[in-house]
This record gives sequence, C-alpha cells and structure tokens, in this order.
Amino acid sequence: MNEQIYDVFARKNRGDALRHIGYLDALDDELARVYAWKTYDEEKWFEMCVVPRRAIIGVNRDDGPWARQARGVQP
Amino acid sequence: MSAATTVKAADLSTEARQGLQRAIQSLADSKRLMGIRYSDWLLGAPSIETGIAASSMSQDEWGHARLLYAMLKDFGVDPAVVEHDRPADAYASVDALDQPFPDWAAVVAGIVVVDGAISVALESFAQGTFDPARTRVPKMLAEEEFHADLGAAWCRRLAQGSGEARERLKAACDAYLPTTLAWLAPADDVAGLLSSEGIMEPSPEIRARFEATVGPLLELVGIDVGSVKADRSGWDAARGRGKGAPDDESVARARGDLNRTLLVE
Repeated sequence: MNEQIYDVFARKNRGDALRHIGYLDALDDELARVYAWKTYDEEKWFEMCVVPRRAIIGVNRDDGPWARQARGVQP
Repeated sequence: MSAATTVKAADLSTEARQGLQRAIQSLADSKRLMGIRYSDWLLGAPSIETGIAASSMSQDEWGHARLLYAMLKDFGVDPAVVEHDRPADAYASVDALDQPFPDWAAVVAGIVVVDGAISVALESFAQGTFDPARTRVPKMLAEEEFHADLGAAWCRRLAQGSGEARERLKAACDAYLPTTLAWLAPADDVAGLLSSEGIMEPSPEIRARFEATVGPLLELVGIDVGSVKADRSGWDAARGRGKGAPDDESVARARGDLNRTLLVE
C-alpha cells in the first residue's frame, strides 16, 4: 500500500481566499478527505479540499516542493 | 417513518418511558465505550493521520454520549450518577464493545459494523416522535458520516489487500455481527412498545436499514449480512443487550475513577 502526499486547502468564510493549511499522507482520495477533515478540524471551515501534490503543476519556479513533486522527485 | 406530532418524556406512559430510557442509555453507553475503543488507537494506528482520526472520532463519541446522557434528565435520572457511578454490569453498551479491539482489522470491523449499527439506531431515533432526538441527533449523524467514510475506505483497502488482511477483517465482522444485530433490532416487548409509540421504527425495518447501509461493504469480505442470525442468547431485557458487560478497566475509564476526587459537575 503506497501513500501519497495530499495538500489541504480551506476557506474560513464564503468569499474568503482559499488558502493552503497543511498536508497529509493518505492511501487514496477517500481517506485523504477524512484525514483532512479530522486533522485540520481546529477551525470551523466553510470549505475544505484536498489535492494530490502530484497534480499540482509548478508555474514560476522549478525548485519548490510542488515543482519537484511534479517532476517525480520525492520531497 | 415520518413523525407528524412530537412527544416529550412527560407525555409517555410509564412503560413507554421506561423503554425509551433503556434505548437512550443503551445508545449513550455504546457511544461512551466506542469512544474508549477508538482512544486505544491514538497510538499504534497504521499512520499518524489514522491515529489523529481515531482521536477525533473518540472525541465525537464522547460528545455524543454526553448529549445522550443529558436526555435522561427528563426521566428523573441524574446524568452525573449514570456517567460516574455505575458498575460494569449496569452498562447497556453493544456487546461487541465489551473488550478492546485486538488489531486494526477489528477496529475497521468496529467502525463498519458497530459504529454503523449505532448510527442506524440513531437515524431511526431522529426520525421518530421523541422531540429531543429530532433536534439533537442530526448533528451527531453529520459527524458520523466521516466515521462511516473512514470505515468504508479502510474496509475496501483491507478487502482488496493481502489474504491475511481480508481474513482478519472477515473474522472480526463475523464475531461482531450476531450480537450487534440483536442489540440493534431487539425482538422484545420494549422494542414493540417504542415502535407502536412511533419513537423508533419496528425492529425488522431497523435491521433492513442496516443491511442496506452496511451490506455492500460486508459483501467485499464475502459476508451476506441478510443471512446472519442475530444472537439473542442470554438476552437481558433490562439493558437491551446480551448477558455480558464491558471489562472493568474500560468502565473505570468511562466513569473517570482516577479523577474522581477532582470531579466537578
């Protein structure tokens, strides 16, 4: 069973910017949803989502963690 | 089941009130013990995230237990006495929670079968005529959706995993189902009375609701839940469960014995 990294994004209120609040390791998307909700539950979020880090495409630099992940380099 | 009119404890006959008190105490005790069983896995779960989820779920369960115990005030019962001053053999929790979960496969079976059954009972309760259940239980059920999602995801993982993982999960589900089905859908006068009052659905309908909810997951490990016979041996009608009791150490934790001198209610 291989875990992968998911980044967690959330907004506090309707209309707020979606911001990066953390990351987690999960076996699949379904578990990532549950882990995110249970791990980052210190605030009452209006909206939360998770994104597999490998799905994030770096745009302006090639040395950030997401850019490295996109190239298949483990963090 | 739709409830056109709602009732409070004071509106009910003595018999119905006693039956409802059994149901609430059984749900509350199950929640309290479920929380303890989850808390055993704060450390030792397969990953940090899973441990955090177990911690969060145990807090959910204890919160739900608190709300359910508080409902007993309407029955002339002091919730503080019920929570902190009863022996193990007075607990009405689901039989499957009498002992700690021995491994992670058993935890997953516990989430799917036992926590699943408790939620099905609460769904029925929330849709019945008892007013406090209609207002307080829906939030519990919303929180339980994440427990069900976690259980379902891990159930699928283990079912598709190694032969040993699948076998352990199946063995734990096989062990928990018969008594849990008896607890969920009692075949006694109390269940009939609660059904006739519109407080809970008839037991066969509650069981059907459970089969529809949990059945597809259990099929993954080769269990046809419709063919599982409820184990009603040693049925204790006063508590609405079998004859056993949770282990003393867990009940001491449930009561908060170590902190008794610090107890402020």
